[in-house]
Amino acid sequence: MSALTTTRPEIGAAAKSPRSTRRQRSLHARGSARWVLGIPLILFLALLVAYPIGNGVISSLQNHTLLNPNPTWTGFSNYVRILTDSNFWDALSFTVVYTVLVTSIELVLGFLLALVFDRPFPGRRFLLSALILPIMIAPALMGIMFRLLLSQNIGVIPALLQALGINISLLSASTVIPLLVVLDVVQWTSFTFLLFHAALQGVPAELEEAAQLDRASRARFVFSILIPLLAPTIFITGFLRAIDAFRAFDTINVLTAGGPGTTTTTLSIYVYKILSSGDFGLASAASVVIAIIVLPIIPFVIRRITDGATS
Amino acid sequence: MNAVYTSIKTDAAIGISPFSLQGGFNFDHYSNVLGGSSGFNFPGYLLNSVQLSLGTVILVMVIAVPAGYSIVRLGFGGRWVLQLITSLRLVPAMFFAVPFFLIFSALGIYDTVVGLILADTFMQLPLALLIICGTLRDIPMEVEEAAAIDGAGTYRSLVFIVLPLLASGLVAVGIIVFVFAWSDYLMAVILSASGAVPVTVGAAFFVTSAGIQWGNLAAVTVVSVIAPLAFAVFAQRYLVRGLSAGAIK
Amino acid sequence: MNRTQLTRRACMTLATAAAAALALAGCNAAAPSNTTAGGVTNLKLIMNPGPEATAMSKVMAAYNAGQGATDKIHVAVDQLSRTDTYAKEATLMSTKSADYDFYQTASYYIAQHAPYLEPLQLNSSQYFPGALNSLKVNGEQEAIPLDPSVNFVFYRKDLIGKMLTDKAKFEQISQQVLGKKLEPKSPDQWTWDDYIASAAYFTRKYNSASPTQYGTELQAKNLVYNSMLWDDVLWNEGGSWLNSSGKPDLTSAAAKSAVNVYRTIYTKGLTSPASDQAEYPETEAALSSGNAAFALQWNAGYDQLNDPKQSPKTAGKIGIAPVPGVQHLSHVHTLAIGVNKYGQHVAQAQKFIAYLDTVNAMKAYVAAGGLASMPSALTDGSASISALKSTLANGTFNEPALPKAFDIYTALASDLSGAWVGQGSVDSALQKANADLAQLSGK
Repeated sequence: MSALTTTRPEIGAAAKSPRSTRRQRSLHARGSARWVLGIPLILFLALLVAYPIGNGVISSLQNHTLLNPNPTWTGFSNYVRILTDSNFWDALSFTVVYTVLVTSIELVLGFLLALVFDRPFPGRRFLLSALILPIMIAPALMGIMFRLLLSQNIGVIPALLQALGINISLLSASTVIPLLVVLDVVQWTSFTFLLFHAALQGVPAELEEAAQLDRASRARFVFSILIPLLAPTIFITGFLRAIDAFRAFDTINVLTAGGPGTTTTTLSIYVYKILSSGDFGLASAASVVIAIIVLPIIPFVIRRITDGATS
Repeated sequence: MNAVYTSIKTDAAIGISPFSLQGGFNFDHYSNVLGGSSGFNFPGYLLNSVQLSLGTVILVMVIAVPAGYSIVRLGFGGRWVLQLITSLRLVPAMFFAVPFFLIFSALGIYDTVVGLILADTFMQLPLALLIICGTLRDIPMEVEEAAAIDGAGTYRSLVFIVLPLLASGLVAVGIIVFVFAWSDYLMAVILSASGAVPVTVGAAFFVTSAGIQWGNLAAVTVVSVIAPLAFAVFAQRYLVRGLSAGAIK
Repeated sequence: MNRTQLTRRACMTLATAAAAALALAGCNAAAPSNTTAGGVTNLKLIMNPGPEATAMSKVMAAYNAGQGATDKIHVAVDQLSRTDTYAKEATLMSTKSADYDFYQTASYYIAQHAPYLEPLQLNSSQYFPGALNSLKVNGEQEAIPLDPSVNFVFYRKDLIGKMLTDKAKFEQISQQVLGKKLEPKSPDQWTWDDYIASAAYFTRKYNSASPTQYGTELQAKNLVYNSMLWDDVLWNEGGSWLNSSGKPDLTSAAAKSAVNVYRTIYTKGLTSPASDQAEYPETEAALSSGNAAFALQWNAGYDQLNDPKQSPKTAGKIGIAPVPGVQHLSHVHTLAIGVNKYGQHVAQAQKFIAYLDTVNAMKAYVAAGGLASMPSALTDGSASISALKSTLANGTFNEPALPKAFDIYTALASDLSGAWVGQGSVDSALQKANADLAQLSGK
């Protein structure tokens, strides 16, 4: 049984009118329900979010390290250290490039695959399960498995390449970055595919039939009808994938530990290394800086999501 | 694929070359891993993983469905609630690891499945809330308006009208949350010790100071894929059919 | 009608699942966390997995059954993956946790861990003095030494034997790669030039008759342990972290030539191109698969390579030579166990340490697959043990005992691993490393 033949009703609801936003507020803004329904969330946030953030911010202003169990205030010196560390900026730029690359590739591939799987063909169900398998494997395990798979000495892939007469080492200093991108795509295209596939299921069949009557080509149907219709889903999917790519850690850490040098150090690896050397203040400061850098994007994104991207 | 292949080879064959089949195929690595001769309690780790993933899915739903509805339809907290929660996923997870450790120790839920459920819920909530809010927006208001005219209150219409319409979206969220909770490694490393070790952390036990036990590790990887896959199939079969079949007319 | 029914069914399904999960979770939450039961004190040690933890749990089992019953103490070991043990310990320590009664520590970590460890009284005459001293902070013994780690060159005796008789070819290849004519030498007499030339001899690119594809396998991944291996080159080329007046000295000629040793091996293709991501397991695999003829490796790697079950190609054929150089000096560090100062049962923990602090306990530890820093516990006459004993006796150097040693290893790996594999310039990498060393050492 495939995991994905979801029937998502009325996606895009045939291009919502901007009217509906106004109506929602007037109709349902009634009394206590809003708070009652929000209670679980508020409780959860109070329990698990307020304290860590407070704790982290305080620690970022102190010289809190393993060597110094009783920290004192040091003002912004941790922040200065982060902002003047060339490795931090290298990690930031690598992370941004990596995020943009993998997200766009995965969006395109995931969408194309979802289109292919939108129509019945023999073996579809089996292939579907195979396609979503990669996200079932924990990234930490995936990293170790890749390490075996790609091992120059005992791995299958280098041996196959060699058998084909291709003499290239995927893990060598010059190929390791493209390799990491490919590995991310291999694992996470499943994710974009999953969301797109669910969304396509919800596209009314009549729409497609109508398009066929118009003799519109498949390509035109996709570009002028499907993509605008699915724009909100594409946007959310891209955003979700991007925030996770931005936090990329497990696979890269296992495979390269951020090297050679610092060429593949993501921000998460950067923070992790500070943390494992026991400098909690510095690690907190780095996290705060990262949050501040990405924070301005959030309202923009949320506005698009809450207001619907089509309008 | 490679994991399956490696897991049934002998250590000698793994160490020589990818095509070496010295010693043939066998299931020794599986019996090592599941039978406990590896020295680790893998059935226990698997059970922990199942509990924590299911628990996370449920807790995420309990929090995110009403909150999402409240945010999208009732204007709860305006945009900033969603903004705040989304931002949480952009901060490196390690930032939260140490404070969580402190809180959980104080609450006595360090190294318990409950603690890990809380931590994983925290990690997956932003994602779930975003998808749920997005899906909610796509549901036409007219149905609820009709229900309101029929005299159905907010709660009634949430449970009987909106929930069924939301079903397929919820299934997708459920699968994703389950899989991500199942895959979590970082939080689990910090927040478990022996009682609540999930299978991802357990697998790392085969990365030892004296090398990596490839065969055992591959076997764990194969075994660890089974549960999320089964969950996806289950969610698909029962929940979608159950929830949405009646809703679409 | 139909709709309500289905919805109800769905709700039931969800509710059942919820109840089941909560019930299961509930059982788990109730798991015993009490540390004393029936008058017996339960003590826990955190350790990374590997032969050490396996051996330790056997020693503990023996203790629990014997002496521990008298002491009313039960000890157990919890394991984490190799790379995460210290991150986890940092979390535990920084919160002054009482979860563990013993911490795993090591020479390069002892200064950072010392504020959380209870000083120990050991029978110091039983140990290799170097091992014991590497665990002292401000004169206090902070931990009990277990497995010492040193580096050796593991080589294929069968292949090196042939190389020694192939003088002409060797001279020609060394001329081609190094620009000088070197004679083939036995590995225990190598300098780093000999290491490079021999690696070239066993690389098919330079010697089509080579039985292995590459001569060696460099461990050039950006990883703390790889900095320790590189220190072997640095010290044997006459360098050090600090100069004689205590200032950072990583821009010295010796440091440059040490980076260039790695760089030459990598860029000339004497190691696999993937060795920029190689560490211990990759090097083991390169040797066991027969793809490399020799490699600088940790002493712990010997048993796997010499085990016919795991490494049929190399078992019985592995020779051991000291680190190349004039004096053949090896990095050394010691795995150790310390007592958590903030634990609830410090006195009981000390009792178990006292048990470990005996030749018999350490002999049992060695018999179970560990190694000891006690000469009289290393009685097994195997090749690797006797090589270890002789290296520990007079073949090691010590990196300066700086409080932030671990951070320095981390910085060296991060700053130099690019230059090791030909990225950027050697000088700028060393300058960055020197600056980081200055900051981390406070000198």
